[in-house]
Amino acid sequence: METDILVIGGGPAGMSAAITADRAGARVILVDESFSLGGQLRQQTQHFAPLPGSEEKVRGTALGNDLIKKLEASKVKILKKHIMIGSYRNENIGVTDGEKTFAIQSQKNIIAPGAAEKAKIFPGWTIPGVMTAGAAQILINRERVLPGKNAVMLGSNDYSLEVARQLKACGVTIKAIVEDKEQMISSDMELLHDMKNVPVYLNSTIESATGKEELNKVVVKTPAGLYEMEADLICIANGFDPIIEPFEIMGCNLAYHKELGGWLPEYNVYFQTSNPSCYIAGNAAGITTIGPVLLTGEIAAIGALEELGFMEQEEAEAQRKELWKELAEIEKRENEKTFRARSELIEGFHQKIGMAFPEEFNMVNGGAHNG
Amino acid sequence: MQITEHPVLDKKFNEEVIFYFNNQSLKAKKGQTVAAALMANSIRKLGASRKLNKARGVFCANGRCTSCFVTINGLEHVLSCTTLVEEGMRVSSNESDPDVRGESNGN
Repeated sequence: METDILVIGGGPAGMSAAITADRAGARVILVDESFSLGGQLRQQTQHFAPLPGSEEKVRGTALGNDLIKKLEASKVKILKKHIMIGSYRNENIGVTDGEKTFAIQSQKNIIAPGAAEKAKIFPGWTIPGVMTAGAAQILINRERVLPGKNAVMLGSNDYSLEVARQLKACGVTIKAIVEDKEQMISSDMELLHDMKNVPVYLNSTIESATGKEELNKVVVKTPAGLYEMEADLICIANGFDPIIEPFEIMGCNLAYHKELGGWLPEYNVYFQTSNPSCYIAGNAAGITTIGPVLLTGEIAAIGALEELGFMEQEEAEAQRKELWKELAEIEKRENEKTFRARSELIEGFHQKIGMAFPEEFNMVNGGAHNG
Repeated sequence: MQITEHPVLDKKFNEEVIFYFNNQSLKAKKGQTVAAALMANSIRKLGASRKLNKARGVFCANGRCTSCFVTINGLEHVLSCTTLVEEGMRVSSNESDPDVRGESNGN
């Protein structure tokens, strides 16, 4: 199979990149491991704002459906239930559907595998009934099944409270929120208000999770002693790691940036990695919010399009300038530390390879440092 | 348990399917994953861990952690969270290491 641009990952970043590349006339193949497109948007019933070009709040699932519709109306060749499993010596990408494996020859790859939830280890963490917060959210919103009746939420960031709220709306009792820090991580007034009747244990950890073959008892260790409670569900919300395996396969250099989620590929202002055939987009390029996730997909696609001659340099520069401006605006507003870390990663990589900063990046980057 | 009325989303699944888990006949919705179909029937133990032989079930529900593997239509080690349930599908729990050198694998 042969194409101009191969997109790995059919979540918001990958879909955004594929739609942008298709619109400019490039031949695009999009590969996704799941049976349906949308990635994590498929179970995100929470509202998101701001989005690129809009302050209006949009439900995650609706945003996902909108992108899927655009993609399905385009000429992009979509390969669902296909997984990238390796690369050949000539850099063709090996893809499998579980039965047959074949090579895709592409000029450029845009890799958008997203992020994975981090586990948290405590005695009994492997018992059925202990799962990530994301798993519980998939089960209630995408799969429409209840993962339990009485839940303990481990972690108190925005995401854990959002999932706790959604579980509660489905009829699950939230027995406790357990946080090892001395105060709640989330400062979202609306979320905190919705959780106001839920016991919160600060400076606390899960001492044990037990049950014969399924979870039925949770012991929480608090500064005031041990609390035992009956629960059949523990949701672990411990943050996200960028998924880096496809980049390792492609020989991309990695860097460590705590604020971006840990180890991730180095990339330049075009979202091009140290392997010139591979661009990066989405949460793999640093854990962030939905607005920047979509914008990084577009910026990566424009870089690939310009290199392949599907877009004139002048046009690419003009578009990139606008997209970077918006990315900086949204990300600085939502999480300034993330934007600073992203700038540092990019600056570091440019210095290392002796590549000049284009004007569009100097502008937003300067803005970041001047506050 | 199935969520029949979701608090914010429209109804998604209409068709019912019958499948089997360890030879027991169960109902699920067409479009659900095997992992969810089992959870809808209050089945949360999907097998035992290889080394310590402890119960294991859905952990990430996202095709990554591999905690939810089962045998589907004779094929061992299939991720139940990324496989859609089908009419007549035969699912069984994986309680030990797969027999990779067995006859079914050409050895």
